[in-house]
Amino acid sequence: MTAGPLLLIAAAGLAAGIVMGRAQPRLWLALTLVATTAGLLAAGTILLGAPAWEWRSGFDFAGEEFHLRLDGVSSFFLALLSLIGGLGAAYSHEYWTDERYPKSAGRGRMWWSALVLSMGMVLLSSNGLHFLIAWELFAVSSYFLITLDRQRRDVRAAGWLFFAASHFGTLCLFAFFAAIAAHHGTWELGPMRDDPATAWLFWLALAGFGLKAGLFPLHIWLPSAHANAPSHVSAILSGVSIKMGLYGLVRFSGWLPVPAAAGWVVLGLGAAGALLGIAFALGQNDYKRLLAYSSVENMGIIAIGLGAALVAAPPEDAGWARLALAGALLHAWNHGLFKSLLFFSAGSVLHATGTREMSRLGGLWRTMPWTAALFLLGAVAVCALPPLNGFVSEWLIYVGLFDAVTSHGSAAWAAMPAIIVLGMTGALALATFAKAGAIIFLGAPRTRRVAHAHESGPWMRGPMLVLAAGCVAVALAPLAFWPAVARAVGAWRPAWEASEPPAAFASLGPVQLTLALAGVTVAMALWERGRHRGVRRALTWDCGYALPSARMQYTSGSFGGLATGWFGWILQPERTLRRPRGLFPREALALQRVPETVLERVMTPVGGVILQVSAAARRLQHGRLQFYIFYVVVGLAALAALVLFGSMR
Amino acid sequence: MGLNLLALASSRLPSLIGAVSVQGIALGVMPLLIEHELRWLVLLVAVATVGLKGFVIPTLLRRAMRTANIDREVEPSIGFVPSLLLGAGGTIAAVALARALPLLPEHTGSLLVPGALASVLTGFVLLIGRSKAISQVCGYLILENGIYLFGLLLIHSTPLLVEAGILLDLTVGVFVIGIIVDRIQRAFDSLDTRKLTVLRE
Repeated sequence: MTAGPLLLIAAAGLAAGIVMGRAQPRLWLALTLVATTAGLLAAGTILLGAPAWEWRSGFDFAGEEFHLRLDGVSSFFLALLSLIGGLGAAYSHEYWTDERYPKSAGRGRMWWSALVLSMGMVLLSSNGLHFLIAWELFAVSSYFLITLDRQRRDVRAAGWLFFAASHFGTLCLFAFFAAIAAHHGTWELGPMRDDPATAWLFWLALAGFGLKAGLFPLHIWLPSAHANAPSHVSAILSGVSIKMGLYGLVRFSGWLPVPAAAGWVVLGLGAAGALLGIAFALGQNDYKRLLAYSSVENMGIIAIGLGAALVAAPPEDAGWARLALAGALLHAWNHGLFKSLLFFSAGSVLHATGTREMSRLGGLWRTMPWTAALFLLGAVAVCALPPLNGFVSEWLIYVGLFDAVTSHGSAAWAAMPAIIVLGMTGALALATFAKAGAIIFLGAPRTRRVAHAHESGPWMRGPMLVLAAGCVAVALAPLAFWPAVARAVGAWRPAWEASEPPAAFASLGPVQLTLALAGVTVAMALWERGRHRGVRRALTWDCGYALPSARMQYTSGSFGGLATGWFGWILQPERTLRRPRGLFPREALALQRVPETVLERVMTPVGGVILQVSAAARRLQHGRLQFYIFYVVVGLAALAALVLFGSMR
Repeated sequence: MGLNLLALASSRLPSLIGAVSVQGIALGVMPLLIEHELRWLVLLVAVATVGLKGFVIPTLLRRAMRTANIDREVEPSIGFVPSLLLGAGGTIAAVALARALPLLPEHTGSLLVPGALASVLTGFVLLIGRSKAISQVCGYLILENGIYLFGLLLIHSTPLLVEAGILLDLTVGVFVIGIIVDRIQRAFDSLDTRKLTVLRE
C-alpha cells in the first residue's frame, strides 16, 4: 500500500478517537493503535525508498488549497510520532484510567487523539496557513493534556506558563509565514533556496521553533510543563512535541536560504543548552524535572549537530557536515525512544509511590524490578554510553566534529569547543543518571509507602518493553537504520544524498554487539558467582555509629552537591540551613532548592516591570468622561502640532 | 466670542443654557450677514438654525432640567477663573493659529476662522471642566456651533442635505440626552457624571 491510503486510515482513526474516546476506552485504544500503526507504515514506505508523497485537494480550506507532502524529513518525524503516540495510548490505558481519574480520563483520551492528529498535520502541511492552524491546535491540545489534573495549583501554573510561551513562539511563526507569503505571493511552501533576500527570516523561525524545541534561553516553560503533566503526556511532550520545533528548524533551514551566521548561532545555543541543561538536571530533586532538564540537554546536543551542518551548508558536500546532521537526526529518534522510556518508568514509580521527590524514595529495585531494569537501560542510553543507542548517534556527531577539526577550515573553530562541551555534558549526564538511579532504586526505602510499592501491570510494562527493544535495536544494528537517516538527510540537502554509510558508522555495529555480549557475559558470570557463593549482607562502614537508619543515606542533594557547586553561578541554589546548637540540639534543618534561573531571575523581574508599567497605564482608564474628552483634546492638539510643525519643516 | 466666555463664567444652568441659545441665534443670523445676495437656500438654513438652536434645543434642555429636578448650580471641576483664563487663552491661540493655517485668500482676513476655533476650544473646556450632564450637553453644543461656524465658509459647496443632516443629528442627540438625563436621575439620584465611574468596565 502506498502512503496516501495509510495516512487516510491514520487520520480517520484519530478523528474517530476524538469523537468516541470520551466514553469508550477500549475502542479508543484500538482506533489509536490502528491509526498509529498506519502512520508508522506510511512513514516507513517513504523512508525505505518510495518517492515523496504529495496531494492537493480540489477544494479550499480557509481560502487555501490543501497541500500535503510527506518527504524524507517529515516522514522521519512522523515515524517517531506514530510510535510514541501509539505506545503512550497503550500506557495510559492502565496509567490514567477512568477508575483513578474519573473526571479527566475521558478528556485525556480525546485530547491525546487531537494532539497526535494535529502534530501529524504539522508534519504533513505544505501550506503556511494550514501549518499555522495545525501548530496552534497542537499547542492547545498539549495545554489541555498538561492540565489534565487541573485541581493542583502547580499544574495550572505550569499550564499557563506553557501556554504563554507557546503563544510567543506562535507569534514569531505568524510573522515568519506571513513574511514568506508576502515575499513569494503565496502561502504554498516548498524548496525556495535561491532567494537570499529571505535569509533573515531564519531568525524568526529560530525564535518560534527554538522555543518549542526548548533551546537554551527559551526552555523556561519546559521543566515545569514536562514535570507536572501526567507521565504518558510527559513522554510524548519530551519525546515528540519538542521534536516538532526541531522539525521546523530542519524543514525551513532546508527549504529557505539561511544567513551565514545561522550555523554558528545554533551551534552556540546548542552547546550552552547541552551543558547548562544537564547541570540543572543534576541539581534537581524531582525526578520528572530532572528528566525534563535532560531533554533540554539532549535538544542541545541535537542542535550542535544541526548547527555544524548549517555551518558547512554553503560549501556543498562536506562529508563531516553530513555526518553531523545524520547524527542529529538519529539522536532525535533515539532521544524520543529513551526519554519516553524514562518518563514511562518515572510514571510507573509515581504510580506506585505517589511522590516525585527522589529523597522520599529508595530501594525500589526489590519491589519494582521491571521498572528498575528498564529505567537503568534508559539511563545508560541517555548517558550515551556504549553499547546503547544514545552512543550511536552521539558517535556520529563526534565523528562529524572531529572530521571538521581535521579539515582545518574555519569550522574547526566551532567544532573544537563543541567537542569539549559534548564530552563534559556526557560526564555530567552520567553523574545525573547515576544519582537518579541510585537514589530511586538502590539503598533502603526512605518512607513506609515506598517500602510497599507495587510493580506496574502489563499495559504499562508492555510499551516500556517495546521502547527498550527499540533502543537495543538501534544500538546493535545501527546500519539497518542508516537508509532512513540518509533519506532524511537527502531530503534536507539533495546534494548530500548518499546510499553508502560512512566507514565510521559501518564498523560501529559489530563493536557495539561485541560490547553488549561482553557486558551480558560478565553480568551473568557475576550472577552465577553470587548464587553459588551467596552474598554476604552487612552494614556499610558507618563511622562507628551502630544504629543507622534509612534516613542516613545519601540524598539527591548531597549526591549532586559537588557538581552543583561548580555551576553555582548559574544554578543559584537557594539554601536554608539551621545548624544544631548547644549540647543537646533539638532539631536541625538543611533545605536546598535549585530554581529555574532564567525564569525566576530574568523573566519574572522583567515581567514584573512590564506589569507595573501596565498597571500605571491602566490608571488612565478611570471612567471619568471629562478626562476622556481631555485625552481626545490632547491627542488632537498633538496631531495638529505635528501637522503644523511637520509642514513648516 | 464674548458669549463663549459668558458660558464659561455662568455659575447657574439657566444662564448657561441662555448663553447657548443666544449663540445659536447669532449663528443662525450669521449667513444672512455674510452673504451679499439672498438666496432661498441660505435663508432656509438660517431659519432652521435659528429655530432649532435658538429655541427648540434650549427648550428641550430647560424641560429636562425641570423634570429631572436638578439644583441649578453648575458644579465646575475647573474653577470659573481658570476656565475663563483657559477660554481667553484659547481665543488668543485661535487667532494665532488662524494666521498659521493655509486658508483660501478670500478667508484670510475674516474673523470666522478664529471664532470657530475659539468656540471649539471653549466647548472642550466646558466638556472637561463641568460635571453635570446638562452642562456637558451645552459644552457639546458650543463645540458643534464652532464646527458649524467653520462650515459657513463652505456654505456654497456643502449640499443642503448635509446641513440639514447635521441639524437633525444634533436635535435627535439632544433629545436622546434629555431622555437619558431623566433616566440617570431616576437610577442614580444624581446627574453627576463623576458618579458614573462604577460603569467603566
